[in-house]
Amino acid sequence: MASPTPNCMRHAMLSFRQSTSSSLRSTLLRRSSHLSSPILLRSTRGYATTADPDPVPAASEIDFEQFTVQPARVIPASPAYFSGSPKFIDHLLNLESICARYASLPTVAPGDAPRMAWFKLAQFRDFVGESVPTKKYKNLVKILHRLNRIDQAMVPMEVRDTLKTFLRPGNPYGLKPAPATVDDMGRARGRGKRKTSSAVVHLVEGEGDVLINGKTLVDAFPRLHDRESATWPLRCTSRLDKYNVWANVRGGGVTGQAEAVTLALARALLVHEPALKPLLRKAGAITVDARRVERKKPGHVKARKMPAWVKR
Amino acid sequence: MIVRQLCARQSRQLLAVNRQTRTLTRFYSTETTVQTPVTARPATEPPRAAPISVRRDAKEAWKKREAQKQKFHQLGSEVADSYQPEELIRNPPKPSDITLELLLASQTHLGHSTSRWNPQNSRYIFGIREGVHIISLDVTAAYLRRAAKVVEEVAARGGLILFVGTRKGHKRYVVRAAELAKGYHIFERWIPGSLTNGHQILGHCETKVVNGMDQEIPDLKETQSERSALKPDLVVCMNPLENVVLLHECGLNNVPTIGVIDTDADATRVTYPIPSNDDSLRSVGVIAGVLGRAGEAGQLRRMEAARSGHLTYPALNPEDLKIEKNVSDDPKIANTVSEEPKIANAVLEEPKVASTVSDEK
Repeated sequence: MASPTPNCMRHAMLSFRQSTSSSLRSTLLRRSSHLSSPILLRSTRGYATTADPDPVPAASEIDFEQFTVQPARVIPASPAYFSGSPKFIDHLLNLESICARYASLPTVAPGDAPRMAWFKLAQFRDFVGESVPTKKYKNLVKILHRLNRIDQAMVPMEVRDTLKTFLRPGNPYGLKPAPATVDDMGRARGRGKRKTSSAVVHLVEGEGDVLINGKTLVDAFPRLHDRESATWPLRCTSRLDKYNVWANVRGGGVTGQAEAVTLALARALLVHEPALKPLLRKAGAITVDARRVERKKPGHVKARKMPAWVKR
Repeated sequence: MIVRQLCARQSRQLLAVNRQTRTLTRFYSTETTVQTPVTARPATEPPRAAPISVRRDAKEAWKKREAQKQKFHQLGSEVADSYQPEELIRNPPKPSDITLELLLASQTHLGHSTSRWNPQNSRYIFGIREGVHIISLDVTAAYLRRAAKVVEEVAARGGLILFVGTRKGHKRYVVRAAELAKGYHIFERWIPGSLTNGHQILGHCETKVVNGMDQEIPDLKETQSERSALKPDLVVCMNPLENVVLLHECGLNNVPTIGVIDTDADATRVTYPIPSNDDSLRSVGVIAGVLGRAGEAGQLRRMEAARSGHLTYPALNPEDLKIEKNVSDDPKIANTVSEEPKIANAVLEEPKVASTVSDEK
């Protein structure tokens, strides 16, 4: 079935014919009705836009005032609503996108980055109000660390502000105890502990007198070994004859008391001469020995020893 | 007991024993020969932030380096028509971009080993090649188009669309699709019972009341405290094999589902299957991208309708939100919002697959 004209052409011709015939008919009818008055005839010239006899009623005005106030639907506040922890996931995605955006910025070594006190896990859970698993929070902190490693000279404002929201209140790394000083009577005070003994040492410049609990060194520590221990910080820095020591020791046995005095004395000496620190460290005088006697447990003979096995 | 070569046997251990701890060194010396150099510690200044000039230098150096990198990056030969994985996220394909070439290139045709097949998928399977089922690409294209249409219509009617992809690399595709379609995403475990026991699991998650233009109405915030949890109106699942519980819950709650069905998956678990490879990230990326774009188109339509002043869905009944508190004497009105699925759950027509066999006849 090959037609000489394409379908569309035929349709176009048909529609054109229909429209022209109908418009012609209407104008002719109107002409005939007005023919009786020739004056009016001039006024009924066919304008391009003649008013329709029965205009379609316009749609009522949209009341946008009402439209914006009327509640339409209830939707989740976050796209991660169905995950059960939407706030955490929103934070995570936000951090990841920031990390990707600023990935090319130069970074410093982890040790050189400023120390930041991120939320502890419990604090973070309070912050988002969701029970976040430990592992997931650790992964989030990893991203925080990465962002924190961006070179301080070039950290964008956005990163700075975002990181700030994850800091715990206060500044725990800013609170450092004030360095100890020698008081107005020339005394330096140091405290030390070893085993169950604790010692307080007051150190003044002098001729090398040592008083421990009001007794002389020989009376306080009859054993030579303990005397060596107690005065070791002064001995290893060859300052035995330059300071007077006045110590107060409580608790524990003789060895513990002697070594508690060592630590306290070394700390007091550091107040007088801070430059001795490397030497005292090397001599083992300011290294804290935190070992304590392990408690005995029920079912054990001692702390760890089990009773011998008996057949019955 | 005869001990031979004591030194040779024990010397290494003896050496190890001889190494004293630092703390013990004091017991071996009575006199010190060390002369302590006492020097006043130099007054250390507290570390300050880098001065502005240093900051500017670092920034300029970095900018220069980046510019240089950019410049050299453009040198060399150009590889045309190469696969850029990031492009699937940056600019995902639209439903109108679905071609068999695209599907083939993104490996949607690769099924599983023939021994692992689910015979329900036999009508989606084109054949076997090297012991692996090959999924018919024209079927995939047709079903993908149908699914895109479903997503678009649900989005246009203001439904909540949930994109789920819980395998390892799905995260970014799912998040991107949800972002495009203004939908919701899950890329970690689906918590079982989120639909059937929603009040317990999603009860604490925030919801908001919005108007037709999707702007929040803050005055109605407090009405949301006692609401029951929301349910999605459509769930798009990228790995139905691992999310059987999710699909089961959707079935219990009359929530229609779309799923990527590989040759080893059960096609009857989802309402609208898309027979395709679900093990390739690239194929999942294409499918998620297409559905996301479809949702985007639906949202555009909805917003256009809202701009001209009418809603494409039945509006929330204000009485359900307890707005007229003074009028109603009883404060304990049931404040649950009638939740009808935004789109009829009826299955659309089976997509018409252009059968190449009949054309050739």
